[in-house]
Amino acid sequence: MRFLVCIKQVPDSTTRVKVAADGKAIVTDGVTWSISPYDEYAIELALEHKDQAPDTVVSIISVGGPRTKDALRQALAMGCDDATIVGGDGADTLGPLGVANALAAAATELGPDLILCGKQASDDDQGFVGPALAEALGWPHVSQVTKIAPSAAGTEIWKETDGGHEVWKAGGPVVLTVQKSAKEPRYPSLPGIMKAKKKEIPERSVAGVDDPVKMVIVALEPPPSRGGGKIFKDGDTKAHAAELATLLRDEAKVL
Amino acid sequence: MTPPTSGIGAVVLLAVALLGFGAFAYRAVKLYRYLRLGWNEGRTEHLGRRVKDELVIYLLQRKLLKRPYLIRGLAHAFIFWGFIVITVGTTDLLLSGLVGLRMPGAESGFFVWAVDVFAALVLASIGLAFVRRLFFRPPRMHIALDGYIILGLIATLMASLLLFENAGLAGGLLAAHQTPPPLAQLLSLHYPAGLAAGVFAAAWWVHVVTVLGFAAYLPQSKHLHIVTTLPNVFFRSQRPRGALRFIDKIEEQETFGAASLRDLSWKQHLDGYTCTECGRCSDNCPALATGKALDPQKIVLDLRNLLLQEGDALLKDPTAAGTPPAHQFASKPEELWSCTTCAACVEQCPVTIEHIDKIVDMRRYLTMQEAAAPPEAQRAMTNIERAGNPWGEAAATRGDWADGLGVPTFAERPDAEYLYFVGCAASFDRRNQRVAKALATILQAAGTSFAILATEETCNGDPARRMGNEYLWQTQAQQNIETFSRYKVRKIIASCPHCFNTIANEYPQLGGSYEVVHALQLVQDLIEQKKIALGAGPAETVAYHDPCYLGRHNGIYEDPRAVLDAIDGVTRMEIEPHHRERGFCCGAGGGRMWMEEKVGQRMNHRRVEQIIDAGKARGGQPAKVASGCPFCLIMLDEGVGAKGIQESLKPVDVLELVAARVMRDGAPKGATMPKATL
Ligand SMILES: Cc1cc2nc3c(=O)[nH]c(=O)nc-3n(C[C@H](O)[C@H](O)[C@H](O)COP(=O)(O)OP(=O)(O)OC[C@H]3O[C@@H](n4cnc5c(N)ncnc54)[C@H](O)[C@@H]3O)c2cc1C
Ligand code: SF4
Ligand code: SF4
Ligand code: SF4
Repeated sequence: MRFLVCIKQVPDSTTRVKVAADGKAIVTDGVTWSISPYDEYAIELALEHKDQAPDTVVSIISVGGPRTKDALRQALAMGCDDATIVGGDGADTLGPLGVANALAAAATELGPDLILCGKQASDDDQGFVGPALAEALGWPHVSQVTKIAPSAAGTEIWKETDGGHEVWKAGGPVVLTVQKSAKEPRYPSLPGIMKAKKKEIPERSVAGVDDPVKMVIVALEPPPSRGGGKIFKDGDTKAHAAELATLLRDEAKVL
Repeated sequence: MTPPTSGIGAVVLLAVALLGFGAFAYRAVKLYRYLRLGWNEGRTEHLGRRVKDELVIYLLQRKLLKRPYLIRGLAHAFIFWGFIVITVGTTDLLLSGLVGLRMPGAESGFFVWAVDVFAALVLASIGLAFVRRLFFRPPRMHIALDGYIILGLIATLMASLLLFENAGLAGGLLAAHQTPPPLAQLLSLHYPAGLAAGVFAAAWWVHVVTVLGFAAYLPQSKHLHIVTTLPNVFFRSQRPRGALRFIDKIEEQETFGAASLRDLSWKQHLDGYTCTECGRCSDNCPALATGKALDPQKIVLDLRNLLLQEGDALLKDPTAAGTPPAHQFASKPEELWSCTTCAACVEQCPVTIEHIDKIVDMRRYLTMQEAAAPPEAQRAMTNIERAGNPWGEAAATRGDWADGLGVPTFAERPDAEYLYFVGCAASFDRRNQRVAKALATILQAAGTSFAILATEETCNGDPARRMGNEYLWQTQAQQNIETFSRYKVRKIIASCPHCFNTIANEYPQLGGSYEVVHALQLVQDLIEQKKIALGAGPAETVAYHDPCYLGRHNGIYEDPRAVLDAIDGVTRMEIEPHHRERGFCCGAGGGRMWMEEKVGQRMNHRRVEQIIDAGKARGGQPAKVASGCPFCLIMLDEGVGAKGIQESLKPVDVLELVAARVMRDGAPKGATMPKATL
C-alpha cells in the first residue's frame, strides 16, 4: 500500500507570532517552523501502518518555499520513505484551491492508494485543502479520522464523532483528514535523522497550476490582550463562590 | 617447620597445584576474552589518581567503611587484610613445600605474628558473617550457597593453619631460631603421644589443598571480586561523577548506545565480574525503594549473566550482535526509564561499579537507535528542539521573569563579570521564577556585576542527555557555548544544580570551559566576605534537602548548610538518616521530571514522609524544607500538596530565605518583595 501524506510547514505552536509593520503578514524572523500538528498525527498514522506492514510506502509532499524542505526532512527522519516538494515562484502564495490543485497534479503522478491530510492547519485553520484535494481528484473524503485498518473490503476508517466514533469503509482510493489521536507522533531515531539529511528531495514546479481563487489579506491584528484577572483572596469561600457566580453571569456572561 | 612433602609428597603437591592453578587460569582466560568483547575504552589517564584510589579504596577499604555499614565493613576489611597476609604465607608454604625455598621475611617475627593475628581476626569475622547471613539477613543481599562455600573454605584455611602450627609446635618441629607462632601457641590442644607430627602433616595438607581448591573455585563464583576489584578500582572512571561519557563525532557513528554487548566497554564488563552481590546499591536506590521495576544490582548482574551466556557465541562469530542488553528481559526498558541518575548506587558501591553509565548507554540505544523513549520523554525532547525548553513554553518569553527588575542582558551589559545562567525551570515555572528573582535581589544587593542571556539562552541539554539523547544534548550545548563565546563569558552562576553540573562538568567535553559556581556557593562567599548583610527574621526550623546534583554528584554539601546557618532565626534540621551522601532523590533527575511516575509510591511523597519522620525523631517538625534545586522545589511542592500539609511544611529555595532578609540601604530588601516569596 502506498500512502501520500500532505504536510504544511507552519510556525511552531511555541512561537510567539507577531504581526509585521505593514499589518498584512507576520514577522518571520526568529520563528521556529515545524510540521502542522495534525499533519504529524497523519504521518504517525501512516507510519504505524508501515510498522505492521513493512512493504508499505509512505511518501510525503509539501507545497511551499525552500525552507519547507526542513519540514520534509523532519518527516523523512520519522521514517517516511520519500519526499516531494512542490516549489518555485509563487509556491508560498498559492490560495487553498491552488494548493489542492498542485497536490492533485502531483498525486496523479505518484499514484498513492490513500492520501492523508491534517484536519486543518494550525496557522490558518481553514480545514479546506483536504476536501478540496478529494474534489480535485474526484475521490471520496472522510474527515476527523483517528485510526485506519486495512480489511478485505478495502480500508476501515475510524471517524471521530461527538463522544464516540463511526467506522467507515473505503473500497478504493480515498482522502482522509486526520484528527489528533491517542498515539503521539514519534520522535525520530538518530540514524533516521542522519539518513534524512542525505536524502534527495525532488522538486516539482507550481508553474501552470490553476489557482482560481486569489486570497488577499486585508489586515492582520493580534488578539486583544487579556485583561488582568480577578483574584479572590482571604475570606469566606462560600461568599467567593457566590460572587464568582454573579460575575460569571453578569460580567462574563457565560452562565 | 619443615613441610611434610618429602619424596612423593612434593610430586603430589605439584600435581595438585597444577590442577588448582590450571583450573583458575583456564577460566580466567575465558573471562578475559569475554571482557575484550567490550569496546576498547582508554582508562589510563590520571595515573596518579588511580594509584591513590588503589591505596584508599582497595587497600584501606574506604568505600566499605561507610555509614550505615561500619561493622560489617570492618569485618570485611579484616578478612581482606588477613587475605593479603595469608596469601604471602601461602606462597611461602607452596614454595617451601615444592622446592624448599622460603620467601624473604617469612621467618621474621613480625610476619609470624601478622599471620597469626590476622588468622584469628579472619576467623572471628567469618563467624560474624555466618551469624549475619543466618540470623540478620540484609534484605537486598543475595544469599546463595556460593557465599557459604566461600566462607567455609576461608574458615577451613584459617583453622587448618592454626592447627598445623600448633601441632608442629607440639611435635617439636620448630627450629630453634624460628619465632613460635604466637596465637597457635596459646591453643592448649593435647595430642596422644607421637600423633602431633601426623596432625601437623594432615592439617598442612588440608590447608594447602584448600588453597588450591579455592583458586579453582574462585573464578566460578561471585568471589571473583577478590581478584577483579584490584583492576576495577584502578580503572574506574576519572571523569567528574556528574559527567556522562562523551560520544565523539556522533554524526559519523552507525549505532548509538549499547545495541550489543560489544557496545559496552571492557570496563563495564569488568564491573560485572567484580560485583560482590552485596546489595548496597539496591538498598539505597530510591526507585527500588518506592516500588519501581529498577534494581541497580540486577542491572549489573543481568549484563554479566548475558555476557557469560552469549560470550562464546559472540567470540565465535565476530559479526554476531547477540541480544540487545536493553531488551534482555521483557521489563528491561521500564527498569531503565525508572532511574533518576541520583547516584545513590554509585556512591555506595564498595567496588566502584558504574551503574549510571550502563543505564544511560542502554537508554541511548533505546532513544537514539530505536526511537523508543517513553512518549512524555519524546514530547520533552521535541519541546527542547523547538522551543529550547522541555515544557514547550514560548522561547520568546524566556527573559520575561526579569521584566522590571533591572536585570541587564549581556547584549545590554557585555562587560558583566558573571553570566547568570537562569535555566528553563527558573525562566518559565512560576514558582521557580521567584527563586530567580530572589537571586537577582541578592546579587544586586551585593553589587555583583552580572547579566542574563534572556532569549539568547537555551536549555542546557541535561534532560535530553540523561534521557539518552546525546545528540540533542550536543546540539543544545554547542548553541550555548557559541553564545557564551560571542559574549566572551568566563564566569557563570547557575541556580539549578542540573545546569551547574552539565556546564561545569560536561561542557568541557565540547571545549566550553568556564568558572562555574552554584548560586549557593557564591552566596556563601558573599556572606563570608560581608558583601551582603542579612537582617533579622522569624525563628524557624528549616530542614535541608540535599539535591543529588549538588551533593552526591558534585560534593557540595557544606555551602548550602553554611548559608542556612548564617540566616538569623533559622535552625537547620538534617533529614536523618537520609541526608548528605545518603540523601534521597526527589524523583526528578535523569529526565524523570517530564515523565509520569505511575508505578509504586511517588518518590517525592516518600521524601516528604522522610522529612516528617526525621522531624518526629527530633521531637519537632520543621516549618520549611529548603533545597537548592528548582526540580526538587517543584517535587517537594507537589509532595506537601498531595499530603495536604503545604501550610505547615513549606518548600523553599535557600536563596529565597536569604533574599527575604537581605539588607539594602539599611532596610531588609526582602520587605519590598511580594509576600508570596516566602
Ligand atoms: C490543557 C488542558 C486540557 C484538558 N483537557 C481535558 C479534557 O479534554 N478532558 C477532561 O476531562 N479534562 C481535561 N483537562 C482537565 C480538566 O480541565 C480539569 O481536570 C478539570 O477542569 C478540573 O475540574 P475540578 O472541578 O476538579 O477543578 P476546579 O478546581 O473546580 O477547577 C475548575 C475550574 O474552576 C475555576 N476555578 C477553580 N478554582 C478557582 C479559583 N480559585 N479562582 C478562579 N477560578 C477557579 C477555573 O476556571 C478552573 O479551571 C484538561 C486540562 C488542561 C490544563
Ligand atoms: S542512579 Fe539512583 S535511581 Fe538510578 S539506579 Fe542508581 S540509585 Fe537507583
Ligand atoms: S554493584 Fe556494587 S553495591 Fe551493588 S551489589 Fe554489586 S558490589 Fe554491591
Ligand atoms: S531534582 Fe533534585 S533531588 Fe532530584 S535528581 Fe535533581 S537534584 Fe536530585
